[in-house]
Amino acid sequence: MEMTKTQSATQSQKLMVFVLTMALYGLATLFTELIPQFQAGIVEFSVEYFLFIPLTLAMLFDPMSAALGAATGELVFSEIMLGQFGGLGELEKFITVTIGVYIAGRMVKNPQNRKMVAVAAITGTALQLLMGTVIDIFKVQFAVSDFEAVAGLPESVFATEGFAFLNDLLFSGILFCLLPTMFLVPKLYGKMEPLLGMRPRDGKTGLGRINVKVLLGAAIAFAAAAGAELLAESGTALVDWEASWAESQTAIAVAMVAAGVVAVLALIVLKAKAGKREKAA
Amino acid sequence: MNKKLSENVLDKFSMDFLRNQVLKNAYGNNNTVIAQLDPRILLLWYLFFGLAPWFVHQLWFLLASFLLVLVTTKLARVAGLVLFLFAVGVFSQTGYLLVVSLLFGGDASTVTPLLVLTLKVATCSLASVTVFSGLDPDRLSNGLMWYGCPERLSFSIAYAYRVLPMLMEEFQNILLSYRMRGNPPDSDTLWGKVKYLCYQVKVIIHAFYPLMLNTAKRARTTVEALEIKGYRYAAVNKAVKKMKLSTLKVGYNDFLFLALSFLWMAVAMLVSTML
Repeated sequence: MEMTKTQSATQSQKLMVFVLTMALYGLATLFTELIPQFQAGIVEFSVEYFLFIPLTLAMLFDPMSAALGAATGELVFSEIMLGQFGGLGELEKFITVTIGVYIAGRMVKNPQNRKMVAVAAITGTALQLLMGTVIDIFKVQFAVSDFEAVAGLPESVFATEGFAFLNDLLFSGILFCLLPTMFLVPKLYGKMEPLLGMRPRDGKTGLGRINVKVLLGAAIAFAAAAGAELLAESGTALVDWEASWAESQTAIAVAMVAAGVVAVLALIVLKAKAGKREKAA
Repeated sequence: MNKKLSENVLDKFSMDFLRNQVLKNAYGNNNTVIAQLDPRILLLWYLFFGLAPWFVHQLWFLLASFLLVLVTTKLARVAGLVLFLFAVGVFSQTGYLLVVSLLFGGDASTVTPLLVLTLKVATCSLASVTVFSGLDPDRLSNGLMWYGCPERLSFSIAYAYRVLPMLMEEFQNILLSYRMRGNPPDSDTLWGKVKYLCYQVKVIIHAFYPLMLNTAKRARTTVEALEIKGYRYAAVNKAVKKMKLSTLKVGYNDFLFLALSFLWMAVAMLVSTML
């Protein structure tokens, strides 16, 4: 009886939700990574998002575990397993997916209210896409050193990113996030929770409305995501620093090469010695 | 001819092919030079080649790091599918941008910065392909744990590799059973093709309904089994962590790998200053 008491679940139930979301969303993102995208003219019909899976689960269960599970699942299944890990860029995706799913999950008080589910699903998707777009624009701006000076580049970046955002939201967002979530949430409601030993979410057991604290947390997380991307900005400073050493740069490089040669030779000798010792022993 | 080609492609992209490629990528290349290096050293190496290209605008440096990661990717014997995805990814990130900037009145001068950008993107991706595809998942998660990544992440990696083949098989079975019972629309005309596509998408989404319920049961079993073994206690216990990581050893080969990479980059810098 103790197990089914509250929606704000026990630690092990949270772990269950985490594992569940991770496995399902990971599988789905793996497919999206593998399915070729097809283009009709300039409009790209990619099956970009199976975001309906974490959205559905976040509305039914603990939103934080579902959000973290989804982000981890994507990271592990489609990035690390396929060797597509993109370093800092993944951090951005991780954080934006977490925020989008978490906010959508928090918005729904009663999963049987289809209108609320629809609004939450599209809000979560739009939030995630918008944050990604903003960060993408920054990224190109700082990665290309003389961004403003290159003819046609600034406009084209804004145009492609803005277009991609609308395309994703209107095509993938509605078709793959809104409709499936509206179909799945009421259908799974009351059937899935008992499998994890929980009571379905209703007005009493919900986590309460979104408040300033949630929004503030999301804003800080987004700033962190953007900050991680914008680290590249300091690239310009680094180059300046190099320039001030220009006179002796050759000397430094020669010293580095020499150090490298010495290190390699020393290691080869040490290794050979160690090999002999092992054979002797 | 056209039909044959599309059949051929579809054959290649069957579920079994995907499963084999993923498993091969994970467990198929344990005896390569890269896989036998210490995961901590490799992660350190990745940290450099994943970050440094973003901060440097020198062409020689970028070119040298690109060549280096190209060699290490070859050494890691990465599965073909991963390399294909890498190529598609790099092109879709920057090639698309080039086409559009030409549309907005850019000219040949647009190409150079974009080439530099492509070089950076390619270097970072190949470095990650080397490290994350070259290492087997258990060593990788041990390495991440040593650097203080949360236990959750190592658990997720280990769990993902084990559960993925099962999940894929189950998903395939559900899809097949839907296909057996369903009545797909005629796909001869163009409108029929659109309808067929919509039907397929709908089946995939519907298939997630039983899959979600089944996976929920499986997740509960997994977590309960973990609880019996005291997982949540062990995850934060220092002694357990020490025991787990005691298999990691840094040897001469690891230092040699680092030193060779260093030497190569130093030579590149020397060349760039002399020119």
